[in-house]
Amino acid sequence: MAVYKRGYRPYRGPLTGRMARFLVLPRTAWRRLYQQRLVPLLTMLAFVWPLLCAGFIYLTNHATLLQGLDREFRQFIQVDASFFATFMYVQAGFAVFLAALAGPGLIAPDLANNALPLYFSRPLTRWNYGLARMTVLVGMLSIITWVPGLLLFALQAGLAGGWWLRENWTLGAGMVVGFLLWLVVLGLVSMASSAYVKWRIVAGAVSLAFFFILAGVAEMIDQVFRVRWGHVIDPAWSVNRVWCALLGVDPPRGPGAAASAAALTVIILLLVLVIERKLRPVEIVS
Amino acid sequence: MNTIPPIPPTPVVELDNLKVRLGRREILHGISCRLGASGTGKAIGLLGPNGAGKSTLILTLLGFLRPSAGHARILGLDCQHSSGEARARVGYMPENDSFIGEMSAVAFLRQMAELSGLPPDAALEKAHEVLFHVGLGEARYRELRTYSYGMKQMAKFAQAIVHGPELLILDEPTNGLDPSARARMLTLIGEMKETQGMSVLVCSHLLRDIEQVCDQAVILKDGLIVHECNLEEDRRSNRRFVELEVTGDDRHLRAALPGIGADGVPEGGGRWRIVLPAGVELEAIWGLAAQQNLLIRKLTHRRDTLEEIFLKAMGHLAQTPGDSAALEGQA
Repeated sequence: MAVYKRGYRPYRGPLTGRMARFLVLPRTAWRRLYQQRLVPLLTMLAFVWPLLCAGFIYLTNHATLLQGLDREFRQFIQVDASFFATFMYVQAGFAVFLAALAGPGLIAPDLANNALPLYFSRPLTRWNYGLARMTVLVGMLSIITWVPGLLLFALQAGLAGGWWLRENWTLGAGMVVGFLLWLVVLGLVSMASSAYVKWRIVAGAVSLAFFFILAGVAEMIDQVFRVRWGHVIDPAWSVNRVWCALLGVDPPRGPGAAASAAALTVIILLLVLVIERKLRPVEIVS
Repeated sequence: MNTIPPIPPTPVVELDNLKVRLGRREILHGISCRLGASGTGKAIGLLGPNGAGKSTLILTLLGFLRPSAGHARILGLDCQHSSGEARARVGYMPENDSFIGEMSAVAFLRQMAELSGLPPDAALEKAHEVLFHVGLGEARYRELRTYSYGMKQMAKFAQAIVHGPELLILDEPTNGLDPSARARMLTLIGEMKETQGMSVLVCSHLLRDIEQVCDQAVILKDGLIVHECNLEEDRRSNRRFVELEVTGDDRHLRAALPGIGADGVPEGGGRWRIVLPAGVELEAIWGLAAQQNLLIRKLTHRRDTLEEIFLKAMGHLAQTPGDSAALEGQA
């Protein structure tokens, strides 16, 4: 019978499991995100650099193509930790802009439209909701960060041979861990800004400003007090310092990897606290 | 022969010394009650003036607010410790605008149904079905932000029933609706309880709405339950209320009323409210008035409306005669 003829009947069939319910939010959010014009555009732009890197890897692994080049230059263009670090810096930059563009559209509309009571009146906890939104961002940013990074790593391993993989497997692992750390920070900053600012554009600007302002404040502390530890309050610097330790490249001057990791942990916990306070079905004014 | 004792039905709402604080202010001051019976398809009305604690009670039942003391259960499930299980069986329509503006009604309902555990195909089918049922079938592909206020109210109602809940919690469902939309909403609520067997908890300040759809009413005042009444029983009962206006010395009328099996309370200025039990006819009043040398200026008979019950509970009206008799009896 046609749906418009049969009237309402309560659903009495089987129910889906917890994981299926959890994935409903990311699924619908991804669909909505990629309906925006700028998101797919920026995502495609973010693939330019990995493609260039892939070309570079191909070139370095084909000796016949390099025969005409200077020996010193040939030694300079190596696929090593510095190569992957450079790859990560560029992709991390794209990730910042993509997170600022897409992140605010995840929570801000729900808050602006007062939709949270509808979500939380169903078998969905606040943590489920936050985690689902985080999954959307981490999933979307993974496509332009560690996934192409891992593909490049696999390409290099495939072209260079097993010996290269045995000697450099830590690069691949370090890249994935490093990127995931960055994505967690980006996701939380983006969610926190959209939880407090209901207008998407402003929320995006706030999440960008978060990194620039903290970098500026860190630099000011270092200059005014003539110290180097001020950088610990700059999450981008701290993540970079952790990356250097993971990839084994020369670190910048300043606090060590352990101090930077500790600072990042504190920043992450503060961001979680900020989000937890805002993601409530009802706001209580005491 | 041993007989199995009947299992008492699970109350729809069970409150046990429930106290809720918002910040430093206590909103609900230890309320206890058992309302409704699950699976019977009855509606409970939650009444009270602004600030009485109605919305706080609803938010506590949904697990949004944590009780500072006591317990709240819906359908036998603790609202704090089994909130997930309880929410899976509840449909909630909030008072304020709540939707995702950029979504079409059908996408919105599908998402809400899937979050309640319906498989994607069934969720989509139910979304269409429910939208047609509430009268939004033609507008189901439009974005919710383009809806009129009445349509948004219907969409909120639709999302509350899309997964087929056992309990429907409606916060001011007819707020801001025009008369025809209001009638449609009340018809839908009535249908949910009578045809679909859902229990319904309606919070409203519109007494006529509560009177029309509810079988039981609870009146809250200052965070306390001040009155509970069974509207269904009242509707069924044969108690007849008479409003009488007389001239003359009516000081002995109250003492004389039990003589004809009636009871009454004076309201001043020769006005009386009298309750006539079944079997006592209006002629008895005429006879009594004649005996007392009273001249009847007005005699109308009517039943106690919810408005009067509400005003009495708020302390703005004298007690109903029957109630006063009951109170005296208890004393």
